[in-house]
Amino acid sequence: MISLVNGVIAWPLIAATLLLKFSVSYGGTVFEAASPYHNIRVVDQGNVRTLSFDGTMETRMSLQDPLKGHFEYTEYFHMPWLWNGQITNVLMMGLGGASAQRAYAHYYPDIWVETVEIDPVVFKVATNYFNFKPAATQRVHISDGRVFLRRTEAKYDAIIMDAYAKNRYGSFIPYHLATKEFFQLAAERLTTNGVIAYNVIGTLQGWRADILGSIYRTMKSVFPQVYFFPATDSLNVVLVGTKSEKKVGLPTLLQKASDLIQTKRVTMPTFRSRVYAFKSEPPLSYSRSLLLADDFAPVDGLLSGAK
Amino acid sequence: MRNVAATILVFLGGFAIMVLEIIGARYLAKDFGGSFYVWISQIGVILIALALGYYVGGALADRWRRVSFLAWLLVPAGVITWFIPNFAGGLIDAIISRHPTDRDIPLVWQKLDPALGSSLIFLLPCFGLATLAPYMIRLVATRMSHVGKISGLMIAASTVGSIAGVFISGYVLIDQMTVTNIFRATGALTVILGITCFFMDSLFVEINSGAVHCNDGRQI
Repeated sequence: MISLVNGVIAWPLIAATLLLKFSVSYGGTVFEAASPYHNIRVVDQGNVRTLSFDGTMETRMSLQDPLKGHFEYTEYFHMPWLWNGQITNVLMMGLGGASAQRAYAHYYPDIWVETVEIDPVVFKVATNYFNFKPAATQRVHISDGRVFLRRTEAKYDAIIMDAYAKNRYGSFIPYHLATKEFFQLAAERLTTNGVIAYNVIGTLQGWRADILGSIYRTMKSVFPQVYFFPATDSLNVVLVGTKSEKKVGLPTLLQKASDLIQTKRVTMPTFRSRVYAFKSEPPLSYSRSLLLADDFAPVDGLLSGAK
Repeated sequence: MRNVAATILVFLGGFAIMVLEIIGARYLAKDFGGSFYVWISQIGVILIALALGYYVGGALADRWRRVSFLAWLLVPAGVITWFIPNFAGGLIDAIISRHPTDRDIPLVWQKLDPALGSSLIFLLPCFGLATLAPYMIRLVATRMSHVGKISGLMIAASTVGSIAGVFISGYVLIDQMTVTNIFRATGALTVILGITCFFMDSLFVEINSGAVHCNDGRQI
């Protein structure tokens, strides 16, 4: 489903947001609908097409080149390759404007990608306005992510989670996608070298660190190693959890990245530079963060308290 | 005194109903997902329970004009609530696992399954709690000339209790207690309400004589 940009981002984005608001009032809206989950709007401004849910940008895409214009954090969804060079199938939770799905279809045409999206209108919007093409290797299930994961008998080499909503009142985290029981279920559906990449809105220092710390602690209770890739153009942090016990550092990952690029397994031009965002230290709030469980997951309180 | 006791009981009944609705929606999301339909079912099912409870509660109050009779409705409701964390998982599992796993759940069942789950778990406890308000109206309203005021008071007390239940659940309980303990506490509260009613016949005994006055026509 989501994610996105808030106050402290780069100026061009702020400008884009202002322009977006302007265009919302004065045309440029190519699609608008209310689904059971969101007020969905697709707006064209110059060469950029944006998808917004409840007034907040979810996806940006260049109209000239659909592989450009996306938010940086979606590129961290390629990081699982660093831990598993043999990925053959991927489960993505959250479709939105299909940034990650388009990129996977383009750069890894042989990889089987299944996407779980809760909102049927979002699926139509991604298909009609964001160049998303359901294909033999790209399937979409309209379902809640956890319900799907619970029922599926498949195993995946990577699970990519982008299921957050946000509006002017702050982020909304579906609590049942953030508990220990959820991560246990995800780990069961991953292959031996499986990797989970999980988008959280927050930063490693300060602002909203409590929810990030809690999700880190919760993931760490299930996955032996958990790392971070904070985005520079938004407040997104992509957490990567591995089933592998081995702790790795940046030099090892850069070496892996070089191998992947050399063998043409990964062809995304920015791949190597994105690896530098790697962080392995826990967030500052880790020691006082809560372990989230089905029985006790005060995510709403954490979100409002840390604002 | 009667009015005060009845008002407090009805307030607490309204409170418990909304704790079950709000925390229940949260509980169902763990298995049915964070779907819009979970909220739709939870709100719809609780309203069905209220409608049934109001109707049956009012009818029973005419038939058994003793407050102790409420114990037979409230104690089972409380016991069921107490055990929700023990039995609900299995019920929900049965609902979900009846769909073959090799294909997506049909949209109609994506909508109706949460309502089925809500009904099996929350319909009976909320039905029991909903009988309180009409029952109390019947017992407290001694004269026809007071029925408007008394029924207004009871309905308002129940609604104010429900308002408190909504905000306290959402703002406080969910951040401070485990879902299991919230169900246990609500169950215990409901059982206590039932036991209290069981021993309160003496407090309401004058009411029956009041009703006699009424029948005599002296009060009218």
